Amino acid sequence: MTLFLVKRLIMLAATLLVAAVVVFFVLEILPGDPALVMLGVSAQADTLAALRAEMGLDLPAWQRFTNWIGGVVTGELGRSYTYDVPVSELIGERVVVSLPLAVMALTLSTVIAIPLGVIAASRHNRTTDIALTGAAQIGIAISNFWFAILLILLFSVTLRWVPAGGFAGWDAGFWPAIQSLLLPAIALALPQAAILTRVTRSSVLEVLQEDFVRTARAKGLSRRAALWRHAVRNALIPVITILGLQFSFLLAGTIIIENVFYLPGLGRLLFQAIAQRDLIVVKDLVVLLAGTVVVVNFVVDLGYAVLDPRLRSGGGHV
Amino acid sequence: MSEGWAEVWRMGLRSRGFVIGGVVTLIFILIAVSALIWTPYPVAEIVVSRRFQGISAAHWLGTDQFGRDLVSLLMAGAVNSVAVAIVAVGLGMGIGVPLGALAAARQGWLDEIVMRANDFAFAFPALLSAVMITALAGPGAVNSIIAIGIFNIPVFARLTRGAALVVWKREFILAARVSGKGPLRISVEHVLPNIASVLIVQATIQFALAILAEAGLSYLGLGTQPPQPSWGKMLNEAQTLMFLAPQLAIFPGMAIALTVLGLNLFGDGLRDVLDPRLRRER
Amino acid sequence: MTLLAIENLCVELDGPDGTLRLLDDVNLFLSKGRCLGLVGESGCGKSMTALAIMGLLPRGMRASGRILLEGEDLLSIGEDRLCGLRGRKMAMVFQEPMTALNPVVPIGRQVAEGLRLHLGLTRHEAELRAGKMLARVGLPVERFPLGLFPHQLSGGQRQRVVIAMALTCGPDLLVADEPTTALDVTVQAQILDLIAELVEEFDMGLVLITHDLGVVAESTDTMSVMYAGKVVEDGPTDEVFQRMAHPYTRGLFAAMPSHSSDLDATRKRLTTIPGRVPDASSRPSGCPFVARCSFATDQCSDAPPPLERLAHRHSASCFNLSRVEGL
Repeated sequence: MTLFLVKRLIMLAATLLVAAVVVFFVLEILPGDPALVMLGVSAQADTLAALRAEMGLDLPAWQRFTNWIGGVVTGELGRSYTYDVPVSELIGERVVVSLPLAVMALTLSTVIAIPLGVIAASRHNRTTDIALTGAAQIGIAISNFWFAILLILLFSVTLRWVPAGGFAGWDAGFWPAIQSLLLPAIALALPQAAILTRVTRSSVLEVLQEDFVRTARAKGLSRRAALWRHAVRNALIPVITILGLQFSFLLAGTIIIENVFYLPGLGRLLFQAIAQRDLIVVKDLVVLLAGTVVVVNFVVDLGYAVLDPRLRSGGGHV
Repeated sequence: MSEGWAEVWRMGLRSRGFVIGGVVTLIFILIAVSALIWTPYPVAEIVVSRRFQGISAAHWLGTDQFGRDLVSLLMAGAVNSVAVAIVAVGLGMGIGVPLGALAAARQGWLDEIVMRANDFAFAFPALLSAVMITALAGPGAVNSIIAIGIFNIPVFARLTRGAALVVWKREFILAARVSGKGPLRISVEHVLPNIASVLIVQATIQFALAILAEAGLSYLGLGTQPPQPSWGKMLNEAQTLMFLAPQLAIFPGMAIALTVLGLNLFGDGLRDVLDPRLRRER
Repeated sequence: MTLLAIENLCVELDGPDGTLRLLDDVNLFLSKGRCLGLVGESGCGKSMTALAIMGLLPRGMRASGRILLEGEDLLSIGEDRLCGLRGRKMAMVFQEPMTALNPVVPIGRQVAEGLRLHLGLTRHEAELRAGKMLARVGLPVERFPLGLFPHQLSGGQRQRVVIAMALTCGPDLLVADEPTTALDVTVQAQILDLIAELVEEFDMGLVLITHDLGVVAESTDTMSVMYAGKVVEDGPTDEVFQRMAHPYTRGLFAAMPSHSSDLDATRKRLTTIPGRVPDASSRPSGCPFVARCSFATDQCSDAPPPLERLAHRHSASCFNLSRVEGL
């Protein structure tokens, strides 16, 4: 297990490093001079050169890379070209929108999907199962941004229960803030919940075939007790993998959903930064997002160990 | 072989999802093909006087803010979706399948490199990277095809490698090796035909995902550019007009959902029919 | 005293091509403190019978007839009552110890679960008793803590856990479905001895399912030979071994490698029964063994032979009993 974790940690670091290199050099080869963007096309040649020197743009590529990475590691993310504020500050004020949104969506989809998947499996090939599987198929086919638009149409345009977009801000109080994140979270969660329901269902179905479920029944456990006490925990092991993957889908999904709802989150920041060629923001954000995904996947590996004792102790006979 | 396909066909007709999905997919492709030659109204025809019309005999699904016929726009949007999805999945398969087959055939360091590169690609949310690529390389249909295609490569490479490794352990491969055939020739002659069904099923599912991804990129304004109609772009424009003409936001999304639903049902049905393990269980 | 009586048990399954009869008019009888051996090739319905007794037939299968456990008909009492009986009055030991235990639950808790369920013990009390039971089956807590997981044990040790699990609530009936088939030969004897000891100690009735006639000879009082969902011969074990009235029973014996060191016996070539058990979907209308039987006559294909009584409690279903025995 320890060896397994060390291996995963090395992989984690390597992935992050490669990600940083790729992002940096992809942005390097792209046309567009940040200094020129900041000063405008009519800028004087010497002002331009001065600014480039100040921003460190005249250094060789590898030196700028090490400077940047060194900054990222120490938390010194640089200054945004367009907003002229520290990138860490920008990210800080956006993360309080995106992170609660992603967590809400993930919680929502997990809380809905896992019980539904278990119920569908326990009613295999009966009406409930067929209805749930059908609903899941439809849920997967609905793109989250269209679902978001439908939600706005229903709850904002027709029923006028919630605003059609924008973020009240945490200063406005906990509930208003949560309220403005609710529809986006639902929109993000639905397709994920549909996928998760299917995965849970097929995993539970597989586990229900296992001998130990029959053993549990032979002990006198009812069908329901055998399902929830013995089958579900085993069935969750593959589901955890999908949960980890879903987190990265959710992060990507926020880019679109934040645009639909005009939420000032990380996705929208990334989107705007790309449009404005605010490359330092783009670089930092991409590494941050990739880092989050990699760390989440690492946590998922730890989750396996909690669920599956075979990984914890490394096996071996007594 | 032909007998095998007849059997597949017979089993397929018994599966409801396969039939429904197949029919929906077929209709979608027919619509896209026919849109190349004919649409009820010219797609680009702007007639301001007839804008925001509701459903009528002349305009089955009404008209948009420029008075364009929605049915015609949706038909042209189907062409766009099919084209992007086919090329993107083709790109992913064209590079991913040979890579995976090569990794399985050669093993060793080559296999290691391909798989590590794969792990790396999976660590990135595909849509995030697609947004980056299209945004930085400039928005447009071609760049969105490349962005979506790139993220199909590891999917097919991993799948091909896994399936090919199983085939490589079978006896007839040993026979072929004994008879002196090289790994390349064995891959082409024996391995690929044996994993074709797995690849076809995955291609169907990736096709559906590509349509969703294209719609997402177009919605963000990074994919297909106007005046070429696309479903995602239509949804984006409709969102600002939601109070005026909510139906404009409903039909394109429905088109995406129906197409993806059809493709997924078809893919699932196909897997049930082609997967020998599931077949034995019946 | 009668513990278990199975009367006219039939199990049917609706398939795409009509109804299949998996068990056909099975009658079995077991007294308290005795051991009944169920013998036959795989697919003959031995395990199906065991699952029918436990009320754990796979979904879609219907059982008819009567299964009387101390006079109570298990087929008519309903699922709730069955749950109360399983693990408490009747218990089962399975064939595959590697998969019969839940891999993510410690063994102590798996053994204690039945105690908490049936006797309403607290967690602490239940685990205390589980520890005693595990010690009784040869896994003392000092060397095998309750917190161990199944993957940390060998196959034989796991089967001991399964046995402990079955016996915690002191059942009256134990059904053991090929309990040693998946184990090493050296471990097989230990596990069988353990089961025999415990059956005597707890004064249980044992239904022992096996394809190993040696095991049957050693540890059962009565035996039933099953073929294609039917009982073709049954009676006291020593009597059946002596007379081997049914041609199929003879075939089974001939196919059994001899354990004796007698040179003649070991040199004798093992015979096999030609052909295989007919599928439930393609059983002949007459005797199910007809296609593989060297004594078969025209009569055998026409109607199934009735079970004929040969001695006080020994019977077999064959039209040609006299010819078989004449050999």
